[in-house]
Amino acid sequence: MRFSRGFAIGLLASAAALASMPALAVDGQTMIITGEDYTKWLWGNQHTDGSVYNFTTVPGEGYGDNGQGTEIDLLISSHPSKNIEVTGRLQSRFNQNQWTNYAGFGGRNPALENPPNGECLGGDCGEFDPRSNEYIKIRGLTARFTPGFKWLDAATIGSTDLGMFDPYTIGKIRYIDRDNAKAILFQGPLGSRQLTYDLIRVSLPRLFAGPNFNTGDYAGQDGAYGLQLKFNPSSFFDIVGVYDRVRDVEVSAKDTGNNGGDDGRDLDSRFKNDVYGGRFGIHPSSKFDFRGLYYYSTAESNPKFGTPTGFGLSGFSPALAGEVSDPLYKANVDLNDPFGIGLSFNIEYFNIGAQYSSILAARREVDVLLTEGHDGAFVFPGPDNSAFGVFAGNPTRIGYGGWEGPAQQVATISVDNEFTDFEEPMAETVIGWKGITVAPNWTIGDLDLSGEYSHIGYNTNWQAWGDTSRGITDSIYPNFESDAGVNSFRNAYAPFQDKKTDIAILRGKYLLNVGKGVDVFGKIKLIKETDNRLNEARFLPYQPGDCPGGGVACSNNAQNFSPGHSTADLYGNPPVITVNGVTGYQWKPFNSLSDDDRDLDYKLFQLGAGYQVTGNLYSSLTYERYNVDLQDGNTAFQAYNLHSMSSGQNDKNKLILYAHYTFGAAEFGANYEYNWGTFDPDFGGGFVTQFADANIARDYGVPVGSPGFKGRFGGWNSLDKRDFKQHRLKVFMKVRF
Amino acid sequence: MSKKFWKLGATAAAGLLIAGSALAQSGVSFKDPANDDNGPGSYTYPTDGVYKRGSFDMTAFDVKVSGKKVDFAVTFNTALEDPWRMGGGFSVQMVFIAIRTGAEGGFKDGPPGTNVTFADGNEWNKMVILSPQGPGKVKSEVDAKMAAAQGGAVIIPTRVKGAGRTISASVDLDQLGGGDPSQWGYQVLVQSNEGFPDGKDLLTRKVNEYEGQHRFGGGTDSDCDPHVIDILAGNGTGAADEAQMQHDMLKYECNPDGSRKSGAALKMVSAKK
Repeated sequence: MRFSRGFAIGLLASAAALASMPALAVDGQTMIITGEDYTKWLWGNQHTDGSVYNFTTVPGEGYGDNGQGTEIDLLISSHPSKNIEVTGRLQSRFNQNQWTNYAGFGGRNPALENPPNGECLGGDCGEFDPRSNEYIKIRGLTARFTPGFKWLDAATIGSTDLGMFDPYTIGKIRYIDRDNAKAILFQGPLGSRQLTYDLIRVSLPRLFAGPNFNTGDYAGQDGAYGLQLKFNPSSFFDIVGVYDRVRDVEVSAKDTGNNGGDDGRDLDSRFKNDVYGGRFGIHPSSKFDFRGLYYYSTAESNPKFGTPTGFGLSGFSPALAGEVSDPLYKANVDLNDPFGIGLSFNIEYFNIGAQYSSILAARREVDVLLTEGHDGAFVFPGPDNSAFGVFAGNPTRIGYGGWEGPAQQVATISVDNEFTDFEEPMAETVIGWKGITVAPNWTIGDLDLSGEYSHIGYNTNWQAWGDTSRGITDSIYPNFESDAGVNSFRNAYAPFQDKKTDIAILRGKYLLNVGKGVDVFGKIKLIKETDNRLNEARFLPYQPGDCPGGGVACSNNAQNFSPGHSTADLYGNPPVITVNGVTGYQWKPFNSLSDDDRDLDYKLFQLGAGYQVTGNLYSSLTYERYNVDLQDGNTAFQAYNLHSMSSGQNDKNKLILYAHYTFGAAEFGANYEYNWGTFDPDFGGGFVTQFADANIARDYGVPVGSPGFKGRFGGWNSLDKRDFKQHRLKVFMKVRF
Repeated sequence: MSKKFWKLGATAAAGLLIAGSALAQSGVSFKDPANDDNGPGSYTYPTDGVYKRGSFDMTAFDVKVSGKKVDFAVTFNTALEDPWRMGGGFSVQMVFIAIRTGAEGGFKDGPPGTNVTFADGNEWNKMVILSPQGPGKVKSEVDAKMAAAQGGAVIIPTRVKGAGRTISASVDLDQLGGGDPSQWGYQVLVQSNEGFPDGKDLLTRKVNEYEGQHRFGGGTDSDCDPHVIDILAGNGTGAADEAQMQHDMLKYECNPDGSRKSGAALKMVSAKK
């Protein structure tokens, strides 16, 4: 712990220095209190009301598309001395504070129930749950000292959103949590102002910043240390170096003598994460800009403290198991109107290692890549955006419409889309991505044209998780919801992958000279994504000819790809069944390399218009049409046995009506969406179609007698063509006071 | 693809180009030196990562008359970004274009929050605000924070666009009182869009003694310093000495109690006759 001790000495020295600085009282010191009333109305035809947010995957938290809620945000600032500024924020929590709670009185008391501690949803626990009793919470308190030293501009103690580093190392905290991180931060010049530093010690969030989304039992000393050096020698060149050191420690399990009372107790590492590197820019002229960055990360989880040594097929953790390391690097070239005709180009090369790990990297509300990436309209494996899996009792959360717009890209698998509404951007992980994006944009009078072509390969293209010495259900990679379906937001890994993605986009915006001017806009987006997944015959689960067909049972002679390991652990053979006189396999035996092939042909057409109706009111209407032809394996693959299959034709339509109105210090916004479409499944052949009985019909919401098939784990995949209709509305009011 | 396809495409593109250039009928253009985005010479950027190098470094200002419309364009020394999802293609910049048309009189005080005045004979009588905030929000701020006469001289474009390195907007020539914009005097004040401005500031970001996460540094903690980061100077040719002219124009002195002793007195820049 040399670094910590050195840092502590530095802290003491700085504290002593601060103690000696002038503390001049400011005459007429005032404390300024401002605030905001934020009120939100949600309505939707899913008719869920678990909380005043559309989406979460956090167990025990509610989600909903109906309800009304209000929160107050009080911002306080004061200068108690010339060199000291204190700012704070008090806020009521939003989650389940629906207006229908009648200010949170009464309600269920889960502590007195039998069994106790049942989930509180939709505010039904009233005053017995902090998410529904309208309590006010301290959200931020920061003291900032500006002592006037040559080497120290400011020392900041308390809340910070960590916005001074970058999204690859210590990333900015999302807006609603912007004051949650607590830190000690020093900033200033080193010699001349051409070289400046940011030095920080952040307490590690025990809520998520470690293996299995926690930092173990002993959290008091868990922290991240960051040093950023910025050097701006000239307008031609600038460079920034960053070192980020995360230490999650526990009390050593070995140090048990006298409970450690005699000579204290030793500490041991639970999780270590180091990221170092830098970024630079070369700016020779206004026409040309070059920027590059390189970071290298190492991470190590210690299984002595319960961190996973491996994950099954669907692990959930923001940290990989064991000891991992990988780089991340990017290069950007900007050509600004090189021909003098308003045509500019942005070009980006990116390469993000499969094991690149920065536990404090930005989790949302940033965009680390130039590419637009995927869209939020299809997320999670099921075509109906089912929450997780192919099993019963698994209703959709965000709903058929998904999120609006394209995804933001983040350099972590710890992606955070929790507590969001449908009109907010969705974030997706880019761990493992490598490729190039070329993005031209051209302004011709009132016409703006822009576009993109991206080719993406993957550092995660491998067979058997890239390590044939381990079993197929024993990986160091947590893969969350898996890669089945149109897309998933936090899945970076798959057991077998041979994938490439091409994205082409053309956007246009034109100011039509009618009335006050009509903004006409549109977009065409094409994604072609193929993944051969399992691509070597030695990885097929069973010996050739194992399932001869003709109603003959499979022999079940598994094929090992390495001693003791076979994909038969995942892709078991089907039983022979007879349905309505037809005898055959319950699902297609996995006996061909093409059984799990993925081929995504994705098209988006968007057209819209916006108009400034009055000085205070802007409104727009947008129509989007999605045609998604997806082959995502057949019944042999079964979406890893876990998820609802989505092979087939998905047609989705979105009609979006948006309005924004300003009235003095108040702002109102409204977003209404109508989503409708169809999913026409095509799971291939080679199996006997079954028909839903009364139990399946009840559990899966399908008609009795409708066709489908039952998978390895008992989940039902319907073969019926499905129709979807989803209405939803969000209205907000913000009043600053 | 066939040769015919490419020929057609090239012809259409050329047509669009010609049409685009034909729209610009007359106007005036100014240059500003690069790397003078430091106000009176000492200002530094806020420390948050959204404030990229060159974000407030104006390099060009163009006025074009297209029929009954006047197009304003301010170019910066970096590609614009929209990290706060304002929707117009930029987020952190805020620009006040002060105009001295041929009309007599005008206002000596700059917009609230900029802490600048205009020199005698350089008063502005029209002002165009280029903000990433919606026009309704800007208008409500103008109504609340500017004197009625000043506010009446402010023009808020219906839409402001950021593309590439340039923020642009169009207003009706009639709103500017008619006349020939190529003959007018201009001053461009580059500020930063502040969503949570101080009580009397018009969506402007503070300059303090030390830069903060969302505050400029290099000034004072009182309001005696000019809160503008870049302006036009000299003849607006972009000559290197215009940086020093800017520093001189924005020079200020504070009294011990933090009030202004002497401060920035801005001059208009106009096309060389």
